[in-house]
Amino acid sequence: MTFQRFLLRRALMVIPLMIGVVFITFMLVRIGGLDPVGRLAGPTATQAEFDSIRNNLGLDQPLWKQFSIYLGNVVRGDLGESWLSNRSVLTDIKERAVISLELLFWGVGIGALVGVPVGLRAAFRPNGRFDQFTRVLSLFGFSIPTYWLALVMIFVFFYLLGWSPPAIGRMSMLVSPPDMITGSYVIDGLLTARWDAAWSAASQLILPVICLAIVSAAPIIKQTRAIAIEVLSSDTVRYAHACGLPERNVRKLVLRNSAVPILTYIGTEVTGLVGTMSLIEYVFAWGGLGQYGLNAIISGDFTAVQGYVLVLAVFSVLVFIVIDFVVYLIEPRSELS
Amino acid sequence: MNFIKKTAAASLALVLATTGMAQAETMILASPQVPEGFDGDALKAHTQNVVTQVYENLIGYGKMEVDGHTVLDPNDLRGHLAESWTTSEDGKTWVFKLKEGVMSPFGNELSAEDVAWGWNKSFNQKRTGNFIARVSNVASVEALSKYEVQFNLSAPSAIFLSALTLYVPGIYDTTEVKKHITDADPWALEWMQSNTAGFGAYHLESLRPDDQAVFVANPNYFGDKPFYDKVIYKEIPSEASRVTLLKAGQIQWIDRPSIQKVVDMQADDSVKVERATSRSVAAARMNPSCDVFSDVRVRQAFNYGVDKDALNTAVFAGQADIAKSIVSPIIAGSNQDYFSYDYDPEKAKALLAEAGYPDGIKEPVELLYSDAFWHQEPVAIQVAGMLKKIGLNVVPTRITSSEMRARAAPAVQDMCFFTWEDGPIVLDAVYAMYLMTHSKGVSNRAKYENNDLDVLIDAGRQELDTDKRMSLMNEAQKLWGADAPWILVSYPATFEAMAPNVSGWVYYPDEHERWRELRGD
Repeated sequence: MTFQRFLLRRALMVIPLMIGVVFITFMLVRIGGLDPVGRLAGPTATQAEFDSIRNNLGLDQPLWKQFSIYLGNVVRGDLGESWLSNRSVLTDIKERAVISLELLFWGVGIGALVGVPVGLRAAFRPNGRFDQFTRVLSLFGFSIPTYWLALVMIFVFFYLLGWSPPAIGRMSMLVSPPDMITGSYVIDGLLTARWDAAWSAASQLILPVICLAIVSAAPIIKQTRAIAIEVLSSDTVRYAHACGLPERNVRKLVLRNSAVPILTYIGTEVTGLVGTMSLIEYVFAWGGLGQYGLNAIISGDFTAVQGYVLVLAVFSVLVFIVIDFVVYLIEPRSELS
Repeated sequence: MNFIKKTAAASLALVLATTGMAQAETMILASPQVPEGFDGDALKAHTQNVVTQVYENLIGYGKMEVDGHTVLDPNDLRGHLAESWTTSEDGKTWVFKLKEGVMSPFGNELSAEDVAWGWNKSFNQKRTGNFIARVSNVASVEALSKYEVQFNLSAPSAIFLSALTLYVPGIYDTTEVKKHITDADPWALEWMQSNTAGFGAYHLESLRPDDQAVFVANPNYFGDKPFYDKVIYKEIPSEASRVTLLKAGQIQWIDRPSIQKVVDMQADDSVKVERATSRSVAAARMNPSCDVFSDVRVRQAFNYGVDKDALNTAVFAGQADIAKSIVSPIIAGSNQDYFSYDYDPEKAKALLAEAGYPDGIKEPVELLYSDAFWHQEPVAIQVAGMLKKIGLNVVPTRITSSEMRARAAPAVQDMCFFTWEDGPIVLDAVYAMYLMTHSKGVSNRAKYENNDLDVLIDAGRQELDTDKRMSLMNEAQKLWGADAPWILVSYPATFEAMAPNVSGWVYYPDEHERWRELRGD
């Protein structure tokens, strides 16, 4: 299958998926006990004011009608306005997406750079000391609550040791942000020669990135180890051993044959970490998409919740398309499917 | 702490070098979120926290010292933006002379037109400001000259002057605001989503949603120059992070800490915690129109069956004040003698037996609660547990806060038993009683009606003689206490946490500090 046909097929598959996501999200927020009317009306509102706000938001319409209007708007690329901030949800999401992507990129990137070699090394000597140590380490990473880990890291590295800056968001409050080019303060600071801003943004990134890297590295280590052990016991590797191939070459072979499933797993990991990101952003006051989604859920901002979930679904699809394509580049014999 | 010191020093040096503000003082205030709007008539999350800093009004409270603390004196109402005022013999027409030379940060002078415009905006929006106008009987406001504004009241109002201490209806710099009105938006409400234009001590300089709002001092402010030139209202969603930052000296103020954090911070020298008795009251309310609560003896039995001291310890960490009147003791005219239902389960059982329930009430009685106030759920659970001991089958049941507000609206009021908190924003006993106990009070919420009480309160609303008003409200509290329509729990104290060097905090009935009064030296 050519890449163009692959993309076309994926696009066709995505349509029913997106309609399903829009429908489920739309219904869930409405039956989930969220109701922004009370919050918007204020404490002195009369019944007439409640009714008026409900009417303005269209919440007095039948559910099917509300859904059809929303679906029509989504098709036109309009995710609506936040009921609380009155800002365009799409604009809000666009502004915050880069912020979260930057954190995700560094966090998962470092997690993978650490996790894959560690997992491989553990697999080459199963049950050895290193393997046992990494198993404990990955169990720690798996079981530790992200929220707690973030708070402990702030307490230790900022409050006790003073090694990291305070958890006050993406930049020190005493430094003004650089002109926006990409939305990443680090990159924009470098591009505009605002070294103070780039330095401040980079130092603010350290703790949340480490936190995310720990959380993402644990399952990568475990999965890489399992995949590599399976490849090590495959006929190909046994044949290579039987042929007397040097250990270095055998390991290269293992690495090559493990690459595709490991990469696929990391793709799954990226999409799965979005929930974890919300908590990290919350604790570090990061102001990204995760924090936006969490605030929207807590305050019952229907349009923002729907937009957030929809964008996450699109993001997941894009990640898997990219992974499929990268796998195809690594292993041209594999089918794009 | 090397990293922090170096970064802070470098950043500070940079700021000083680039701004030239050698004496600039900045206060960083950490809050769960950045304000969602800046229109006092349409209160959104954290709007009230900041409009109180931007929009000041015609009248202000004087201050007095009580037990070493500076507090507002509800009996000392003095001109703020107003220099003086006169009233007609029938008490229905008030003319205020404005101070001259009061300037907004945009360089425009306060005029009577500005005052009238703000009130007309509130009348038009029919929200918070309109409610204030209604309870203080203000029918219309008109500019007589540049510095004279007239208020026309539908009836004399004893709380009218107190109402003029509030941030809403706001007084806007209409010269600036009118630049942003359109045919579709004649009150510039869209512009007010992210801008301010008042005559107060601060104004909004910049806003980054989900990040921070920066306020700077009004350079033309008519009052004393504020100590802080800049206030950064920073969004730090996690309370644990806010407390850590305060303890580390990175921020100077955190917004309304939870009771658990208050207890933690009270034991920490690196943080200063201020406390004030609240003007509001937490209670479990009984609806006399429901069969089970129609008999006053049942309502009294419910009150005797609840141990308020135990509730204070279990729910409020012992930090609240036990409520003995619906009117908080910080309000002049509060009488704490008429609601004496000390814990007495035997007396409760006897009253129930008298009312025809010798074996208690086996039918489930739902005690509704929501998440509108943090204490609603634990109070409901504790109260249900205590009432079970006197044979009452009370079932705590959670509903959404908006459902609770909707069902408590004047036209509905169909909840039989629920927990809630209410309090007057004006420090006045008549206002408090009208708001929460009058059959037309919007915070009555549980269909309590007593004609004799209504008569007393209505008389109090129109009585301008302070002694007579207080006497009427004394009688009203006695009547209400005997009727026992609420299980009064406590006045949940208000706490503010700040850096140890911050001083000048005074409790305001809207429960928001005034930045202009704070000092950091």
